Amino acid sequence: MGRRDFLRNLAITSGAITIGGSLLAACGDSSSPTVVGGLQIGTPDNPIKLAVTTDAIADGLPNESGTLEILNWADYQNPESIAIFEEKFGCKVVTSIYDTEEAAIAKLRNGTFKPDLILGMTDTGLAKLIAADLLQPLNKSYIPNFENVISGLRSPYYDLDSQYTVPYFIYGNGIGYRTDRIDKNAFASNGYDTLWDSKFSGKLGVLDSYRDTLAMAMFRAGNFDANTTDAAVIQKAGDDLIALREATNPKVDILAYQEMPAGNRDINFTWSGDLFTALQYLPEGVSPDVLGFWYPEKTVAKNDFMCITKSAKAPVLAHQLINFLSDTDNALLNREYVGYQPALESITVDLLISSGTIPESLIEALVTPEKYDAGLAQVSLEPTVDSLWLEQWTRFTAG
Amino acid sequence: MDTLHRGLTQAKLKNSPRLWAGFAIPGAVWLTVLFVIPFYAVACVAFGTIDPVFRDAVPQWNPLSWDFVQAKQIFTSLATGPLQGVAIRTVVYVVCAMTLCFVIGFPIAYFLARHAGKRKLLLLVLIIVPFWVNYLMRMLAWVNLLSVDGLFTRFMRNFGVNYNWLDGSPITVILGLVYGYIPFLILPLYATLERLDWRLVDAARDLGAKPRQAFRLVTVPMSKAGLVAAGILIALPMFGDYYTNDLLSRSPSTEMIGNQIDFFLNASTLPQNGALLVLALSLFLLLFMSFYLRSTRQQSRQVTR
Repeated sequence: MGRRDFLRNLAITSGAITIGGSLLAACGDSSSPTVVGGLQIGTPDNPIKLAVTTDAIADGLPNESGTLEILNWADYQNPESIAIFEEKFGCKVVTSIYDTEEAAIAKLRNGTFKPDLILGMTDTGLAKLIAADLLQPLNKSYIPNFENVISGLRSPYYDLDSQYTVPYFIYGNGIGYRTDRIDKNAFASNGYDTLWDSKFSGKLGVLDSYRDTLAMAMFRAGNFDANTTDAAVIQKAGDDLIALREATNPKVDILAYQEMPAGNRDINFTWSGDLFTALQYLPEGVSPDVLGFWYPEKTVAKNDFMCITKSAKAPVLAHQLINFLSDTDNALLNREYVGYQPALESITVDLLISSGTIPESLIEALVTPEKYDAGLAQVSLEPTVDSLWLEQWTRFTAG
Repeated sequence: MDTLHRGLTQAKLKNSPRLWAGFAIPGAVWLTVLFVIPFYAVACVAFGTIDPVFRDAVPQWNPLSWDFVQAKQIFTSLATGPLQGVAIRTVVYVVCAMTLCFVIGFPIAYFLARHAGKRKLLLLVLIIVPFWVNYLMRMLAWVNLLSVDGLFTRFMRNFGVNYNWLDGSPITVILGLVYGYIPFLILPLYATLERLDWRLVDAARDLGAKPRQAFRLVTVPMSKAGLVAAGILIALPMFGDYYTNDLLSRSPSTEMIGNQIDFFLNASTLPQNGALLVLALSLFLLLFMSFYLRSTRQQSRQVTR
C-alpha cells in the first residue's frame, strides 16, 4: 500500500522539480543538464550524468557483520527473499517503511531515516537525493548481476552509466478489467473511452495520482505529452475527468489490486503491476483468467530503482543485496510476493509465462523492453505548471 | 481555635483567586505546548513559503513576514471555486450525521439515565465495548460487511434491500460518521441526563404537563448544556474526518474537506494549501466553540442567580 502511495505521489515529488521553459530550452543540448526548479534532472531528450562528489567503496571489501538497514515501501520486498539473504550473508536486515517519496526524502535530509539502502525511489526523487548529497556512487564490482538489467535501463536518462542506481521494478499505465464482464474488443478503437461508459457507474476506478490520471485523459484526447505545459490541454483533461466523474461516479484510489479480484470493480485505470498483485487477492475458486489488462500503445512506462546512501554503515552488504535482488531466481522469488515485474532482461515474458504464474489474460500487462522503450516518460513540472495540474485535479476530486 | 482557624483558611481560599488560578497552570501549559504552539506552527506553514528546490513547506515564524497570497486563493476557492462543493458537502454531511446521532443517541442516553436501573452499568459497557476496537479496524470490518457479497448486504437482501453500499454513496459515508462518533455523543449526554433533577419533570407532570410537554419544556432545556457539549464533541472530529470517506467511499462525489487536507499535505507539491485548509476549518469550528462557550456561560449565570 505504501509504495503505491509513492506511485500515487509520483507527481507530488515531481512538482518539486520541473519541466518548463528552461527544460525545453535545454532539450537536445547534451552539454548542459536540464535545470528545473533549481534541480538538475535528466529527461529522455537530455539524459544526465550525475556529478560524483565522493568515491565509491573500494573493491574486495569484506561484508560487514551486523545489521543492514533498508528503506522501502510496504510490501515491496519478499520476506522470504530477505530471509534467504540474511542466512546467506549472516546478517540481519531491518526495514523501515516510507509512505511518500517526498516524506522519505525530507526524513533522510533531517536524519530521521538513516538507512544503508533505499528501494523503490524514482527519477524525480533521485534529483533531490543528489541535490541533498545523500547518495554514494555504486561500485559495480560487487554487482555482477547488473548485466541482467534490461539493456535500455543500464544507462537510464536519469542516471547515465547507472552511477548511483540499479533498476528494481518496471510498470506501465493501462486499464485493468474483469474479463468475465467486459470483452477485450471493448478496447478495440479508443480503449480509454471505456472509462467514460456510464454502464460501469459505481464499478469503475481510476488512479489516485494526478499526473497519471490527468495524463490518461490527455492521451484519450490525442495529446501524448505527459508533461505538457499547455494550460488549454490541462484544462481539457480536467473537463474530461469531470465528465468521467459525472458518467461513472468513479473510485479514486490505488486499490485496484484488491477491488478487482474481489469483484467490486469491473474496470480500473491502474498500473500494470497491480494486476499481478491482484492474483493473490482472488477469492478461492475464482479463475485468474477473470483479470485482464489493456496496455495502450502509447502510455506512461516507468521504473524505480535501488540506491545506497552516503552515510551507509554497511555499504558492502547494501551492494550485496542489490546484486542479490538482481539475480534472476531471486528476482523471480521477490516478484512472487510483490507482484510487480523485475527490471531484468533475463526475466522475459516467455520465462514468466512458463513459470505458470501469469494467466494468459494478463500477458498483455507484462512490460517488455520494447514496451518500456516506447513508453512515455513523466518528468517533473515547473511549480507554476504543476499548480495548473493540481487545480484541475482538485476540480475533479472535489466533486 | 481549630474551628476558627479552619474557617479563616476557607475564607482565605475563597478570596484567593490567584491560588485557584494557579491550579489552572498545568492545564494551561499543556494546552500551550500541545495546542497553541502546534497551531501557530500550522499558521506559520500556511503563511510561509515553499523551498524552491525541495518543495517542502518552509514555515515563516515571524508573523510580520507572513504571505497571504496563497491564503487568498484558497479562501476564494472555498467560497466560489473548486473547493466550494467540498465545503458545502462537508457541512451537509456533518449536519446530517449529527442529526442522526441525536435522533439515535438521545433516546439511548435518556433510557440509560432514567430507566436502565440495575442494568445501567452493563448497558453502558455494552455500548462502549465495540469502541475499544480501533476506529480504522471497525471501518475496515464494515467494508467487508458492506461489500457486494458481504454479510450485511446479503442480510438486507432478505428484506428486499439490494443496495451497493460501497459504490461511493453519501448515505454510507454519513452512516459511517454516525457509527464512528455516536458513543462520543451518548456518553456526555448520559452524564448530563443522569445529573438532572427529575423532580422538576415530575413537578411539571403534577402541574398538568403531558409527557411530551414535560420533555420539551423541562427535560430538553435542562439538558441543553449536555446536548451542546455532545454536539461539539462529535462535530469537531467529523468536520476534519477523512478516513471514513477514504474507507467507505473513495469517490469524488463524497469528498470532504479532510480529504483535501490529506491530499495537499501528504500528496501534493502544495503542502501550504493543506495548512491553509486546516486554518479555514479551524475558523469555522471556532463559531461552534463560541456558541458552546456562550451557551455554557449563560447557563452558569442562570445557576448563580
